Amino acid sequence: MVDLKTKYLGLELKNPIIVGSSGLTGNFESIERLAANGAAAVVIKSLFEEEIRMEYRHSLSKGLADQDSNLDFLDYFDYELKHDMLTRCSALIRDVKSRLGIKVIASINCSSAGEWFSYAAKLEEAGADAIELNIYRLETDVNMSAASISERYLNIVKKVLDHVSIPVAVKLPPYMTDTAYMAGQLAALGVKGLVLFNRFYNPDIDLESNRIVSGQVYSNPSDYAWPLRWISVLSGKVDVDLAASNGIHNAETAIKMIVAGADAVQLVSAIYKNGAGYLLDILTGIEKWMKARDFKDLEAVRSYGRSLKPADPGQFERVQFMKYFGDYSI
Amino acid sequence: MANINTDRTEYLKQERSAPWREELRKSKKNKERTDIHRVEMPSAPPMERARSYVEVNMGLTVEEAVVEASRCIDCPDPTCVQGCPVGVNIPKFIKNIERGEFLEAAKTLKDTNTLPAVCGRVCPQEKQCESNCFYKIKMNREPVAIGYLERFAADYEQNSGNISVPEVAPSNGRKVAVIGSGPAGLAFAGDMAKLGYEVHILEALHEIGGVLKYGIPEFRLPNKVVDVEIENLRKMGVKFETNFIVGKTATIDDLREEGFEGFFVASGAGLPRFMNIPGENLVGILSSNEYLTRVNLMGASRSGMDTPVVKGKRVVVVGGGNTAMDSVRTALRLGAEKATIVYRRSLEEMPARVEEVKHAMEEGVEFLTLCNPVEYIGNENGRVKQVRLQKMELGEPDADGRRSPVVVEGSEFLIDADTVVVSIGVSPNPLIPQSLPNLKVTRWKTLDVDPDTLQTSIPDIFAGGDIVRGGATVILAMGDGRKAAASMHEYLQNKQ
Amino acid sequence: MNKIVGKKIFSENVVGLDIEAPRIAKARKAGHFVIVRVDEKGERIPLTISSADSVKGTITLVIQKVGVSSRKLTSLEPGDTVLDIVGPLGQATHVENFGTVLACGGGVGVAPLLPIVEAMKKAGNKVISVIAARNKELLILEDQIREYSDEVIVLTDDGSYGRKGLITEGMEEVIAREKIDHAVIIGPGIMMKFASMVTKKHNIPSIASLNTIMVDGTGMCGACRVTVGGRTRFVCVDGPEFDAAEVDFDEMLMRLNGYKAEELKAAEEYSCKVANK
Repeated sequence: MVDLKTKYLGLELKNPIIVGSSGLTGNFESIERLAANGAAAVVIKSLFEEEIRMEYRHSLSKGLADQDSNLDFLDYFDYELKHDMLTRCSALIRDVKSRLGIKVIASINCSSAGEWFSYAAKLEEAGADAIELNIYRLETDVNMSAASISERYLNIVKKVLDHVSIPVAVKLPPYMTDTAYMAGQLAALGVKGLVLFNRFYNPDIDLESNRIVSGQVYSNPSDYAWPLRWISVLSGKVDVDLAASNGIHNAETAIKMIVAGADAVQLVSAIYKNGAGYLLDILTGIEKWMKARDFKDLEAVRSYGRSLKPADPGQFERVQFMKYFGDYSI
Repeated sequence: MANINTDRTEYLKQERSAPWREELRKSKKNKERTDIHRVEMPSAPPMERARSYVEVNMGLTVEEAVVEASRCIDCPDPTCVQGCPVGVNIPKFIKNIERGEFLEAAKTLKDTNTLPAVCGRVCPQEKQCESNCFYKIKMNREPVAIGYLERFAADYEQNSGNISVPEVAPSNGRKVAVIGSGPAGLAFAGDMAKLGYEVHILEALHEIGGVLKYGIPEFRLPNKVVDVEIENLRKMGVKFETNFIVGKTATIDDLREEGFEGFFVASGAGLPRFMNIPGENLVGILSSNEYLTRVNLMGASRSGMDTPVVKGKRVVVVGGGNTAMDSVRTALRLGAEKATIVYRRSLEEMPARVEEVKHAMEEGVEFLTLCNPVEYIGNENGRVKQVRLQKMELGEPDADGRRSPVVVEGSEFLIDADTVVVSIGVSPNPLIPQSLPNLKVTRWKTLDVDPDTLQTSIPDIFAGGDIVRGGATVILAMGDGRKAAASMHEYLQNKQ
Repeated sequence: MNKIVGKKIFSENVVGLDIEAPRIAKARKAGHFVIVRVDEKGERIPLTISSADSVKGTITLVIQKVGVSSRKLTSLEPGDTVLDIVGPLGQATHVENFGTVLACGGGVGVAPLLPIVEAMKKAGNKVISVIAARNKELLILEDQIREYSDEVIVLTDDGSYGRKGLITEGMEEVIAREKIDHAVIIGPGIMMKFASMVTKKHNIPSIASLNTIMVDGTGMCGACRVTVGGRTRFVCVDGPEFDAAEVDFDEMLMRLNGYKAEELKAAEEYSCKVANK
């Protein structure tokens, strides 16, 4: 029998599969199905600052009667919405914790400090085992330097850390100049884990309807290359747990991530596409491979991974295609 | 919701062609009228009034009122009326003032507006009738001071002792109940009484008037002005019962058994809202409802009254609406050395009436705009001592066209405060919806009603005012009361 | 206007008043309270309805003299009137056959405990009541509690009556020998805090009936807000009873002291006024 247990953010997980923050983790019934199919943990659908702003705008546009006369009522209405959202989220966390035997990671998605740090505390009170912070906002200001952007993130994270005692993980955006630096800084602050990486919403242009629309939602299987690279680079370099996210669509990819050094993997698109039962397939796939290779637990798998590196230490740092392909011409 | 006055055009034309109106129009050339500048409302000196409860706006004299009334050119198509939520015959009442018939002016007002002394003081005329005045839209000048004139006529009538009591039809032997004695309930009661119904107003508090009494301070709306209007309703036969909470003291079913055939829910938006930020439960942090109720309803500022109120030296009021202005100005009157408004958008975007903001500034209120609290810090006794604020800047516009406030990262700073009044709006009172699970409620927790009849999902229950609109204005509540009376009357007539 | 039709002196500081209030008497259930305003100048204060007679149309309030308002109220005699009473307010006690119920009343908390004890007994529970007070003078309603309890333990801090000890000791003793299915805790804030710690320790589901500052009592002002299980609740409309294990008693106690200075001052002034009459 192989042992799939892993430790992530100080939590004992029965296996390395976590279902990431998405519509799949927004209600009890769905989470129940995921748990029944082997998920060791879920990241509850995010408390989304953006969503609240949109809901607020929606309330304003629907108005109640006369815009002007309702201004008093609607002026700070977003606080009511935040409160409602928080209440629902807390209730869901409590429910999952008391009825299903899986770990619950609460997720906050915000781009400013505001009062979100206090929400993290409330989620802790509701029984969350850990918090995942998703704080990325695309900075399009041509005057804002990378250093100031990074500093902003660190300040937000610091604020949250000051107010909770449960472990905090940060989900990083994929394309930062200073990913390694940020990893180090976050670890120094006391962050317990990094999730590599966030998947962006992508806009697209619809030439038929002449509109800007939402582009492809699901990740592609090939998306796994980038997180694989960074898991490998950071593993062992920074004292934090690592969770791989994006493009993990089958057991093989999940295994690769663990080989590269991940403590856990997050799945979303694969489940959307294939259903909750797919989780069992992936777990079975991992077990089969480990049995065939005679790895008794995940630490053995990681150890195997470490043994692969010394052959060409710079491989994962290489970004430019080199001579190997440079000679290739049509 | 539709405005009552759409089919009033014929009626207005008819009234306008009355001989006295024609004569009055001829008595002065339009150029003479438009040459006059808009009257300025005399107000009590700021620094003195900030430490007392005298009414700030002192009212127009007879001379001032007549001159101001003569500015109105009695338009053939009075656009001002279109701006009025209840369709008051504005030119008629103003022309009555001009010709010296002040009691007639009051009577004209009362045709459509049950509480003119109240509306003349608290209506946001600058957004309603006055913003539609010919002077404003055609000449880009100061509109006729319709609000001041309304107040003048209503006050004159109140003080003359010759208060007109509308005619009441003979009793039709049928009973209806009103839940809540605020403006919506009072307006409804008046109209139903006129139609011959036996009307019982059931009020949860020990005073009649709802937000007019507990919410709006003495220095804006003296309680005795409200009491005169209430007395008028008593004269019309309306019955008032205080300390009666429908859903607790008796249920709607109990009342049905007692013979009530129709119910008008006008219980208002009296649920306080908090921001749910850390430290908000420290001693010294109150909702504006609590603060104002202690002072306006329980008389906490008067000596000899038992109810205490927190009398802070450094008072911070969070919010930018009329209630926030009322709270911060009350703080000054309670002896605050410094009273501050903290509002997360800019001054221009404050929902409060421009006049209220102006008065507040005159009285020495400090305005910290583009600021928002994130946390309250207390002392060793659990009393608030500081507020952590963060600066905001204006981002992209929201659906209502106002630019949304965006946090300025790293801009946090502390200010001292020993009292904080949270005045960020109110929500509909939940007692009635809780006691009647079949009553449909909207996503904003207001009662869901048919927009034309104001009937709820339960046929013999109608609703209006803030319980339907969220926190809106007195005049809209009154308009609802009148509309619901008409609908309920039709419903009951058909039910037989 | 409500007329007082009966008065009973329980002790120097505790008085019971029977007041005419037919609608309230009819609608009232155990656990409900009213808000009373004695006169034009009075405060609105919350008082639990100790018992009610729907035939006579009266309710009974048991009042301890602590401040100006309670003093005014307790100085009234049959025939006098109270200006305003509104109710019944709050959520009624959840009563069912739990099995064995431990009812804990501290000081004047025994008055609101009485109707709950009665209701629990009538629902078929075995009721063990532990009542305590600082001294004999402050102990009230012992006989009435006995009438509806299978066992009663009485304690005073100074031993002037019953056993010498704190209510928590009495509770521990009962818990050690009986299986308790449900506990009800009512009394001064600090007593409820420590009593709740006992029931929480032993995993006994229990409710506490909170007594906070109130102004309107109808959910309008938020003065009575408490934090229960991390959420803000209003004692006047969501309570007065809450899961004792979830109540943030420290915050509640801190907020109760909010007007202490003004209260003390007012009480002194009132006493002077009465003395100088």
